[in-house]
Amino acid sequence: MSDTAATLTQDRQKLEMAALSAPAVIFTVAMIAFPVVYTIWLGFQTFSSTGKQSFAGLANYSKLVSDIEFWHGLWITIALFVLSLTLQLVFGIWLALVLFHARRLPGIVRSLFISPFMMPPVVAGMMWLVILDPSLGAANYILQSFGLPPSDWLASPSLVIPTVALIDSWQWTPYVALIVLGGLQSLPPSVYEAAQIDGASPFKTFQRITLPLLLPTIVTAAILRSVDLLRFFDIIYITTQGGPGNASNTLNIYGFRVGFEFFNIGYASALMLTLTAIVFGAVLAFNRLRSAVAW
Amino acid sequence: MNDAANTDRWIRWLNTLQLVLAGVLIMAPTVWMVLSSFKPSFEVTAYPPTLIFSPTLENYVELTRTTPFLSYALNSLVVTVGSTALGLLFGIPAAFAVSWTRISWPAILTLAARMAPGTLFLLPWYVMFRQIGMIGSYTALILSHAVITLPIVIWVLLPSFDAIPRSVFEAAQVDGCSVTRILWRIAMPLVASGIAVSAILAFVFSWNYFLFALVLSNGDTKTLIAAAFNFIGEGSTQWGALMAAATLIALPPLVLAALVQRWLVSGLTLGAVKG
Repeated sequence: MSDTAATLTQDRQKLEMAALSAPAVIFTVAMIAFPVVYTIWLGFQTFSSTGKQSFAGLANYSKLVSDIEFWHGLWITIALFVLSLTLQLVFGIWLALVLFHARRLPGIVRSLFISPFMMPPVVAGMMWLVILDPSLGAANYILQSFGLPPSDWLASPSLVIPTVALIDSWQWTPYVALIVLGGLQSLPPSVYEAAQIDGASPFKTFQRITLPLLLPTIVTAAILRSVDLLRFFDIIYITTQGGPGNASNTLNIYGFRVGFEFFNIGYASALMLTLTAIVFGAVLAFNRLRSAVAW
Repeated sequence: MNDAANTDRWIRWLNTLQLVLAGVLIMAPTVWMVLSSFKPSFEVTAYPPTLIFSPTLENYVELTRTTPFLSYALNSLVVTVGSTALGLLFGIPAAFAVSWTRISWPAILTLAARMAPGTLFLLPWYVMFRQIGMIGSYTALILSHAVITLPIVIWVLLPSFDAIPRSVFEAAQVDGCSVTRILWRIAMPLVASGIAVSAILAFVFSWNYFLFALVLSNGDTKTLIAAAFNFIGEGSTQWGALMAAATLIALPPLVLAALVQRWLVSGLTLGAVKG
């Protein structure tokens, strides 16, 4: 008797729980899952200039394989990803160590440190556009006052990607640093004490003890940044729109322009599905790496 | 012993030096933006750049005179508040259910959706919203931005709900409380600060989001971020107004983030790191 009553309450509870997650699940299916299925379908369609739609089979994908702009975009995306991630991890770890050894961090200092990545990337783009202006910008003035030659920065086809990487790293290095700092603070102090007793130098301690223990945290930071870096959009779109020429035409920028400037929705869908596969592939690879370095 | 103390002091000095260097690198561009926004128009483009000038509000006046800045700001506010409210409405019960049942796929579903490039959804949204005549509507913008806010709310709140001892709920259950009542009367007051942090983070990221409004808004519903191009167009000759716009756009997220800076890291890593 009490058994049936218990099952009854349990069933009721399950139902109530399902009802609580239902709005979020239904919303996500309606806004994401269904549209993604629609995108997959769109990837098999072509749209004529009059907006007429017809089945195209794999035409969009075979176009993609032979599209020089796609391979260029892929190369730009990977170059920007590797350059930015390297900068942000190296300087992020350095900054985390500096913050860790600072006695204490007043709230105001912390607020200032997080300010770059709390402001809109679009604002970061606007501000750096002015600072990096080739003829009147403050950056070139600083270079010249040190006797260095001025640079064209975002206006230079060969420098635009390193410059964008620099802007993004200015924004997100403090974020990586705060994650790594969290990892540092959760390490057991006994580890350092043992190393100190053994007379290990600070550098050796870092290389042999701190860094290996920090690796899982560092990989976590790398995953979080990779997702954003592989679909890089805001700063480029606001500063160069993929230019000069096509020098900063990342896959996401290219796909957006194909879709909303040239209105080739079918081909844009194929491009975006390919980019999504790349992002998820990278996340899976990093996740494997994280389990490999876990302790 | 004296040597060790000396080395110690040197190391501390070196560390402080690096801290100051990092602080300058982080702060200088923002300070430059704010300073430029208060410079008289002839001085903004002065070369060599000037650090000392008599501050003026002319750029801000110019900005509100030549662009519909205030109506853009109002649009941003409507979209951001609307999407944050929707994220909380759907996200709080979902986070509670995931925490209670340990059935995590609803939370993972929303996060996976957040990891894909936004253009992936924007293409079908554009086709669908156009068919039903919703391009340029607040509804379309709020719905699209709720895709940003929902996973933030769920993942920031999960650890908060997890931290409540189960016995609290079990006692309430024995008293005959329904699950919904437990959430409303017991769990939500206990995670009130977590809800505040998630709401602020959701607000910040919705406010900052660029891509969706770029396509889904029209002249009447354009958000500040999507209107940034208008300011840049103007800024080709008027850096002062451009920097005034940039300063004003960045102000709300920066002020809000300063309020919750202590809880930001664990919130921003979606629970991956305990800050």
